[in-house]
Amino acid sequence: MPSVCFYFEVHQPMRLNRFSVFNIGKNDESLSTYFDSKLNQKIYEKVAKKCYLPTNRLLLDLINEFDGKFRISFSLTGTFVEYCERFVPDVLNSFKELYKTGAVDLIEETYYHSLSSLYDELDEFEEQVKMHRQMINRIFNYEPKIFRNTEAIYDNRIAKKIEELGYKGIITEGSEKVLGWRSPNFLYKSFNANLKVLMRNYKLSDDVGFRFSVRDWPGFPLTADKYAYWMSHCEGDVINLFIDYETFGEHQWTETGIFDFIKHIPREVLKHKHLDFATVSEVVDRYNTMGEIDVPWAISWADEDRDVSTWLGNDMQIACFNELRDIERQVKKQGDEDLLHTWRLLQTSDHLYYVSTKGFEDGNVHAYFSPYDVPYEGFINYMNILQDLKQKVM
Amino acid sequence: MKVAMIGWEYPPFKVGGLGTHCYGLTRSLADKNVSIDFYMPKTKHGSSSDKDNLVIKEIGETEIFPYDRPEDKKLAGQFFESVYRYNDLLVQKVSGKYDLIHCHDWLTMKAGVALKEKMGIPLVLTVHSTEYDRSGWLYPNDWFINIEKEGMEKADKIIAVSHFTKRVIVEKYGINSDKITVVHNAVYPIGESEKKNIVLFLGRLTIQKGPEFFLKAAKKVLEHEDTRFVVAGIGDMLPRLISQAINLGISNRVIFTGKLTEEEVKHIYQISSVYVMPSVSEPFGITALEAISAGTPTIVSKTAGVSEAFQNCLRVDFWDTDEMANKIISLLRYKPLHKTLAEQGNREINIFTWDRVADNTLDVYRGIT
Repeated sequence: MPSVCFYFEVHQPMRLNRFSVFNIGKNDESLSTYFDSKLNQKIYEKVAKKCYLPTNRLLLDLINEFDGKFRISFSLTGTFVEYCERFVPDVLNSFKELYKTGAVDLIEETYYHSLSSLYDELDEFEEQVKMHRQMINRIFNYEPKIFRNTEAIYDNRIAKKIEELGYKGIITEGSEKVLGWRSPNFLYKSFNANLKVLMRNYKLSDDVGFRFSVRDWPGFPLTADKYAYWMSHCEGDVINLFIDYETFGEHQWTETGIFDFIKHIPREVLKHKHLDFATVSEVVDRYNTMGEIDVPWAISWADEDRDVSTWLGNDMQIACFNELRDIERQVKKQGDEDLLHTWRLLQTSDHLYYVSTKGFEDGNVHAYFSPYDVPYEGFINYMNILQDLKQKVM
Repeated sequence: MKVAMIGWEYPPFKVGGLGTHCYGLTRSLADKNVSIDFYMPKTKHGSSSDKDNLVIKEIGETEIFPYDRPEDKKLAGQFFESVYRYNDLLVQKVSGKYDLIHCHDWLTMKAGVALKEKMGIPLVLTVHSTEYDRSGWLYPNDWFINIEKEGMEKADKIIAVSHFTKRVIVEKYGINSDKITVVHNAVYPIGESEKKNIVLFLGRLTIQKGPEFFLKAAKKVLEHEDTRFVVAGIGDMLPRLISQAINLGISNRVIFTGKLTEEEVKHIYQISSVYVMPSVSEPFGITALEAISAGTPTIVSKTAGVSEAFQNCLRVDFWDTDEMANKIISLLRYKPLHKTLAEQGNREINIFTWDRVADNTLDVYRGIT
């Protein structure tokens, strides 16, 4: 009987201030000028109101209503939690309440939602994972068993490291490049590590995340009973539905009926006797692996390509990535906590995402999320800040 | 289909986008089996066509440049008079069997309207710029506006070179938006060549094109970056711009080229590292496409028509010379930015063909014949 495994990614980046070449080397002390705190607060408060608070409320009610049979998992990034602690503490409290029900699992990731897993050495990556572990421990008094890397980026090297760090499972994209003819609805074993891998069912996940309100999609309108019916016809052990949390109320507005959809999901799924809900840890405990996956080149859940070209697809992105990575030693040598934190905030993958020049469908998604008109603006701004930071540590 | 097209300029006699547009449009229309008689004032250069179904008919003579802004009264008198004379001649000389008349901008509108009434055939009007654009929205001249308004009202269909221009036609001239079609301009690609450390302005040196903002930005760039600035073109602002460069203390880094030949224009596009089009008011801005087609990353005014049509360029407010300088310096300093913009721009430019302009224009023709 397949278990339905809902996992929600909750993240907000620290968006950058407008920073021109004339600012480089001008302001000696304040690193906070890198970030547009006004814009960040505004966006966070908007999303809190439209998404986090109402969705958490709804999920809590559903968990109570179905007496714990409706089970879900969350991953909260460190930058997101910083927003919560700074601006709207109610949001974090509502996550705590959800966790207390016992029907909610928490997932580990890098504190900064960074691309540090793609650095040559994995020390920085490890530090950021441990920072996240400490944060979850501090707030929830819990140690996650399952890891999910930024945007589900995965390769053999990362898997090995995650095994070393003591996790039992890892999440990535159910990409055909890796699975071939095999179904994402089973657990697989990492090629070179004793780690169970949860493969995202991207078709069913994206039906909610991207296609829910697309009128010319044959599945439109998507109702809970239709969705549950589709799942009831899935073969396998687990249906991994990994979705950006902002889908609810933010990417898909209330008017699309997304909340009604969620509201009816538990009842409609449980109508099918062979379906149930499970958290990511429960899935890993309950099911055995069905073979190995060998991933020498990094995959991810992003864009049509489902690799890392979303962040490292053009020369501008690679230049920024290298600039930031290459000053690691200098930054750490300073022994300045504020500086280190800033350097890490700049590693958040969103900054590179805004610099992507991918066209057509993917580009439209990028444009929707980007605070910049064109990727070139994103590059200029980000690169100017990186140059300023570099001058500070060199 | 046979069209009487009335223009003002045609290569090799060309001062602006109107001439470039007429050249590309007529040739691509001819390739689609549309017969065109293209009427224009007689010039000393002489224009001709190598296509059987495209005939250039030069009539009358004039020394008037359509974008000049006559300042003293006497000159203005001659100016208006010679425009009237050209239009009167057109009304006498245009005859034959045509399916429609297609004219371009205010210079030819009087004749267009008179011919439509005399011959009883539909009139299409392409608006490349309005008096508001040419005046930079400072003291637009009613004499031009009235001609434009009458032409727009009498035309059966109007083609605007951008949505920006369409809005002006609707809002300032009170024209029904249903009869206006937007057709963005195109370019014959110039091709890339090796770059030199040059930042380029190219255009008429008039208030509309914003060359003074280019010089202000140049001053700011030169405080941080060593480069040369080229101001290519002529116009009534030239003396003022030369003194401005001197006053800013950058005259040794700014080159005023004067009028360039077509070959020189191509060359300067090719060797420039950055092209800036800081127009105060720009219905389209074909020069931006020309620069991009020469592999030159381009910074355009946010309100320019090309800015709404073309993705892979940088945009600024024409008055924001700090941001203009920020972007110029970034392009000079960050090679990956320069390279990506050049590559992506070159890819996108392939969509901007005269063949597409002709197709869209033909759709407009078919709607009224």
